[in-house]
Amino acid sequence: MTCACLDRDLDAYVDGELPAEADAAARTHLDGCASCAARLRQRQALKRALQAIPYFETPPGVRATIALRASRMRSLRRLGLIAAAAVVVLAAARTVTFLPLRPAPASDAAQALVDGHVRSLMADHLLDVRSTDQHTVKPWFIGKLDFSPPVTDLAGQGYPLVGGRVDYVAGQLVAALVYQRRQHVINVFVAPSGTATAGVAARSVRGFHVRRWTAGGMWFSAVSDLNEAELDAFVSALRSS
Amino acid sequence: MAGRRFEDAVMPHLDAAFNYARWLTRNDVDAEDLVQEACMRAMRFLASLRDGNPRPWLFAIVRNTWYSRQSRPGMAVEHPMDMQSRDDRPDDALDPEQQLAQQDTVARVRRALEALPAEFREAVVLRDIEGLSYKEIAEALRVPIGTVMSRISRGRERLLETLSVQSAPEVML
Ligand SMILES: [Zn+2]
Repeated sequence: MTCACLDRDLDAYVDGELPAEADAAARTHLDGCASCAARLRQRQALKRALQAIPYFETPPGVRATIALRASRMRSLRRLGLIAAAAVVVLAAARTVTFLPLRPAPASDAAQALVDGHVRSLMADHLLDVRSTDQHTVKPWFIGKLDFSPPVTDLAGQGYPLVGGRVDYVAGQLVAALVYQRRQHVINVFVAPSGTATAGVAARSVRGFHVRRWTAGGMWFSAVSDLNEAELDAFVSALRSS
Repeated sequence: MAGRRFEDAVMPHLDAAFNYARWLTRNDVDAEDLVQEACMRAMRFLASLRDGNPRPWLFAIVRNTWYSRQSRPGMAVEHPMDMQSRDDRPDDALDPEQQLAQQDTVARVRRALEALPAEFREAVVLRDIEGLSYKEIAEALRVPIGTVMSRISRGRERLLETLSVQSAPEVML
């Protein structure tokens, strides 16, 4: 072996990554070549110095946050909510990051609601209060919003309430009530409204269906990837409750 | 979804992920954001780990997250190096004079490594600080083993050059 040959393998030799035969050849050369042996010692010293650099340790707060998120993610999986949502979330992650924090024009309202829905499916956004009990969910909003959203459980009709959260949609602080139908999540966004409209407006955006109506001085928007027939049945159950 | 738990498969490697993130970003704030975002991705992609080796898998996610963060609008591409001082723990087995010499050497090597271009820096970090095999590094960086070898080799070459400008290498190391 020549010095040039060893040169190519010197680092792999130091790292113990050479195949047995090449390793033996390198050793033989190093025994008889002072200049290569000197370069080897330099490499080994550098390696020792690199290994002596202390590890940057994870700040405890970062570790705790990650552990918390992992456990929340698992409890959502147990609810069966994440498996279906994960694909959507990945596709929408970029849009979600740039969700406009200003009043959206009317034509963008459905888009903003769908964004709010998709964002909620990300691990730590779906539920701030987890309860199937409307008497637990309703008081939870007190002090977090300057209005009190009506909260109704529809478990009897096949749409159990799973919880709620405060959200920010199209520039407005809103209540979000979360219902479940099989593995589908239905977000119902609620906020005060100055105008009253008759009937239910229907929109679809990127495979999500949006139903919007007003009642008792508030607007309501139900958003889900649930099929339209079942979503409509849900909306009429909610409106007549 | 019956598979490995994040806590069992990934959490034991969190310190390694943070250390690598800190060497990529070269500052604490970005490293903290990066490792959190990468772990969120790792939770979502956990199924893709299957029965694979979590370390290179996690490093690959940290790395991809970092490069996609950098291409995001509003994100700084490279921060000026922050030469935060850390405890450079000397080796207890050495006498005080040797300890000082070693401390000084380690600090200088650390600065030289921090100044290395990213592709060499991460290869050297993964090998000499994280202790990955060439095969694992190839997995983490998604490059052939030959590329790993040449990046490590050129990285060390550059480190030695930098350090030898400061003092004669034999004396220095
Ligand atoms: Zn030689």
